[in-house]
Amino acid sequence: MAKEVIMPKFGFTQETAEIVRWIRREGERVDQGDPLAEVTTDKVNMEVEAPAAGVLAGVRYKEGDVVPVTEVIAYILAPGEQLPAGAAPAPSPSVESATEAGDGDQRPHRLATPVAQQVARERGVDLTMVAGSGPGGRVTRADVENYLASAGGKVRATPAARRVARTEGINLTEVAGSGPHGRVQAEDVLRHLASKAGPQPPPPTIQPVGAPASGQPQVLPLSPTRRTIAERMQRSFQEAPHIYLETDVDASALEELHRRANARLAESASPTMKEAEQPLRPRVSITALLVRAAAWTLTRHPLLNSRLDGANLLLLPEINISVAVATDHGLIAPVVRQADRKSVSQISAELADLAERARQSRLLPDDVAGGTFTISNLGMFGVDRFTAIINPPQVAILAVGRIHRQFVPDEQDQPVLRPILPLTLGADHRVVDGADAARFLADLRECLEHPEIMVI
Amino acid sequence: MSATKNVNVAAARPQSVLERMGPDLPRQMLQEMLLIRSFEEKAEELYALGKVHGTMHLSIGQEAVAAGASHALRKGDYLLNHHRGHGHCIAWGSDPNLMMAEFLGKENGYCRGRGGSMHIANIEANNLGANGIVGGGLPIAVGVGLSIKLRKTDQVVLSLFGDGAANEGAFHESLNMASIWDLPIIYLCENNQYAMSMPVQRSMKVERISERAAAYGMPGVTVDGNEVTEVYQAVAEAAERARRGNGPTLLEAVTYRWRGHSKSDRQVYRTRDEVKQWMKRDPILRFAALLGVDDQELERLRAEAKRRIEEAVAFAEASPEPDVSTILEGVYA
Amino acid sequence: MRELTYAEALREGLRQAMMADPSVFLIGEDIGRYGGAFGVTAGLIDEFGGERVIDTPISEAGIAGACIGSALTGMRPVGEIQFMDFVTLSMEQIVLQAAKIRFMFGGKASVPMVLRMPAGAGTGAAAQHSESLESWFVHVPGLKVVAPSSPYDAKGLLLASIQDDNPVIFVEHKLLYKEKGPVPEEMYTLPLSQSHVVRQGRHLTLVATSAMVPRALEAAEQLAAEGIDVEVIDPRTLKPLDDAPIIESVKKTGRALIVHEAVKTGGFGGEIVARIVESEAFDYLEAPVRRLASLDIPVPYNRTLEAAMVPQVENIAAEARKLVKGKY
Repeated sequence: MAKEVIMPKFGFTQETAEIVRWIRREGERVDQGDPLAEVTTDKVNMEVEAPAAGVLAGVRYKEGDVVPVTEVIAYILAPGEQLPAGAAPAPSPSVESATEAGDGDQRPHRLATPVAQQVARERGVDLTMVAGSGPGGRVTRADVENYLASAGGKVRATPAARRVARTEGINLTEVAGSGPHGRVQAEDVLRHLASKAGPQPPPPTIQPVGAPASGQPQVLPLSPTRRTIAERMQRSFQEAPHIYLETDVDASALEELHRRANARLAESASPTMKEAEQPLRPRVSITALLVRAAAWTLTRHPLLNSRLDGANLLLLPEINISVAVATDHGLIAPVVRQADRKSVSQISAELADLAERARQSRLLPDDVAGGTFTISNLGMFGVDRFTAIINPPQVAILAVGRIHRQFVPDEQDQPVLRPILPLTLGADHRVVDGADAARFLADLRECLEHPEIMVI
Repeated sequence: MSATKNVNVAAARPQSVLERMGPDLPRQMLQEMLLIRSFEEKAEELYALGKVHGTMHLSIGQEAVAAGASHALRKGDYLLNHHRGHGHCIAWGSDPNLMMAEFLGKENGYCRGRGGSMHIANIEANNLGANGIVGGGLPIAVGVGLSIKLRKTDQVVLSLFGDGAANEGAFHESLNMASIWDLPIIYLCENNQYAMSMPVQRSMKVERISERAAAYGMPGVTVDGNEVTEVYQAVAEAAERARRGNGPTLLEAVTYRWRGHSKSDRQVYRTRDEVKQWMKRDPILRFAALLGVDDQELERLRAEAKRRIEEAVAFAEASPEPDVSTILEGVYA
Repeated sequence: MRELTYAEALREGLRQAMMADPSVFLIGEDIGRYGGAFGVTAGLIDEFGGERVIDTPISEAGIAGACIGSALTGMRPVGEIQFMDFVTLSMEQIVLQAAKIRFMFGGKASVPMVLRMPAGAGTGAAAQHSESLESWFVHVPGLKVVAPSSPYDAKGLLLASIQDDNPVIFVEHKLLYKEKGPVPEEMYTLPLSQSHVVRQGRHLTLVATSAMVPRALEAAEQLAAEGIDVEVIDPRTLKPLDDAPIIESVKKTGRALIVHEAVKTGGFGGEIVARIVESEAFDYLEAPVRRLASLDIPVPYNRTLEAAMVPQVENIAAEARKLVKGKY
């Protein structure tokens, strides 16, 4: 039976992708996993791989076409197979077709777009149950998704579960529910998502060298997360010329602020008293202070809170700081949104919550999307200073090292012991010049050494 | 202890009242009564033409109470009006243009078109509004009276209500409180014989509403509500008492409404004959006679009043409707 | 900080308001010499005289009307209805006059008055002296409805209500009058229409009003020991309601429980549930939104029955537990 090659969905909100180039041609023999075409979505270039070995046939779109995700773009034929009937090359994406004989057991049904049919097939939806909102009562993909999202009749699931299923493209009927009456909860969907990404083994423990072994390399298949990280790192490193600027910040004022903030929070713990700042039990962290300072500095340097978009530079309206968190599954960077508008205690509480959920693999797509600037702190691992790779499509990243005590000259040139915080700013030189980066870094240092600037 | 008077007042003869009114006021009042009559007749006409939303409560035949009462008071005094209150509103000095605009629900009406006939107010002139609830203004009068007392001014409140309201619980609470605190309130009951379809004789055991004043230890006076000078005199006396700090008075002005209760009233509860009898005692004609105004003059004045009202209608019809986008305005201060 | 009872805090608020503004005066039954049925106005007549602390006959419509008329003409009256149950006798004045005058007159007048009244069961006063009718007033445009849950809130919200230019129905609770809490000495206001996150938490959003707030907090403490972290929100002002913090909270926790003393059917809780479900918080719900409120019965005289009718601390804790543990 002919195997479909579909335009896959790569991103959470991705709806379409553009074919940049066909790597293989109609009639060529391909192996499973061979890249067939290069496609792009929102500046992210990805490759569509062959789902099976065979002959590439029935190519339906050409370079430059923008194709809706899950749409069939070609077929892989095994020896002796024919193209399915009706799989003529290059139809227009929204043409109605009464039947779509993808795998033969498709009953003839009323009007539905090819995308809707695909989605319905994938998620086990009976199209005759779905109300069509398109012209002539045609069922569109949105109709199918709405049907799935609203009680559809069949699946008991909470709104939160449905939301996650929608964004992750998961068929709720496949998820085992842990709620009352077998209701699917959001955590069930997330668990399913984790298990669905192949056999997700617990993070493999790396055997120390010298362990009694066979002398063979230990094979650790790359997890999807790792693969994504690898791709992004490579692309960032290749595409964005990085410049690095270093500075050492006198962290005395920062540490003092940190100490006083926590003392104050500890003291005002009565739940009914304070209005201006709701008292929080957790402490304020140095990282939260850094996030706030960085956000403040970014309000004055919008260039470093921007994004390249073709021939335009987009100065982004929100300042959302991604904070790198190391987890067993790899590096992940949850986002503190609108960090310039939040108090340090709010930021601290959010970071604590995000970090914990990151470690428990309970982050939601919204938690990691939309970052405009990243802070990475390896100080707690004893790293003095380091250079970090920018998180695309951002244009800058701040690498924070270990606060260490150092003798520095004071105003009278006498040596005094001060806590020093090393910062290394990485910036995309296509967009940010040395001087821009330098000014940003200077202001950031000023802010950290004189935090009162933020309230004056 | 104040004496309660429960009989028709013959305290002052019309001529001496007229003298006390001065040279200009009586004429002014006659013109005003004509203006009120014209306004009401025009309102009736507009309604018949389908131009008015809702209903209206016409006071044709009751003009003497409106003119007599308002002019016995001073600028700065407060008015709490009832739902049959166009006449009182005009007599209190409202601009017929703005009243007509409100009547037609227009944005520049007194209440921006939000109140309509039953809730017309002119706050600037201390006209605290007509009330759609029978007796609804009576407890409010207590509040206004209290406010006057606390602020130590010599203002008074004219609290208007009908024979029907005299049977509401609020009447009892209000008059009682006003009496124990000696509030400067003139309770003026416009007894037009019917509370919608209920004749006053069947709704109370006592003969005169003013008799109820005794229950509250305040003076009670009944006057001929169609005799301008009697109404004027009684209100003036009550106002003087109030300003002296001697407390409230219950006045009853006996009158008659020529039209039904509202536009949807088929008037099955009274005879055409009865209405005709009362129409012969037209307060406008009576006052004109008292002033020595002849028919020709009266017709001239009547035509002038009609013209003024036509102007008001033209103004109102040319006025803008409220913008729906402002619909949420005016709920909270 | 020194502590006052809820009643003392109210009294101090009234006193300070009257000292600061000569247009503020009090009116109600037995508030002068007697000091108020619950002692809230005790001593104020000695300080301000009978002219500003006015005892009335038993005439609730008259009291409301007195407030309306004086508010319309330059004063800021604070009326007292002795038991919320009796407000039913002044409904016409409150609903058809006070609430509507501003709107009917095209925004050209305002009625800056406060009508205080104690609500609630628990004193054996039975069916006609134990009502909680706040949802009736929430349903009337033009009124504001405020319900303080602590001495600190009581004084701050009362002063804010007196300063507000609208008619405010100020719902106190009989059982709270004796509760003590820290109250600043100076005049201060708490903003109306701002919900108060009394306790932060991650597992459940618990919205409570009036006397249910202290019970909710107590339940939250118990649950904290079991590892259940409850966020308690007190709207403080029921109308206009500040629902943003509630919605944000439910987005965070995914679970919501509303607790109020008023009878469940037609109670204010329904409004909050609707707001949550109509908002973006809907997509974050992990369980149905639940309400805990009084049974649909008149308040019984018998002590045990009276207590069984109203949500108690253990009821709140149990319901919260069930919600968080996925029993709904």
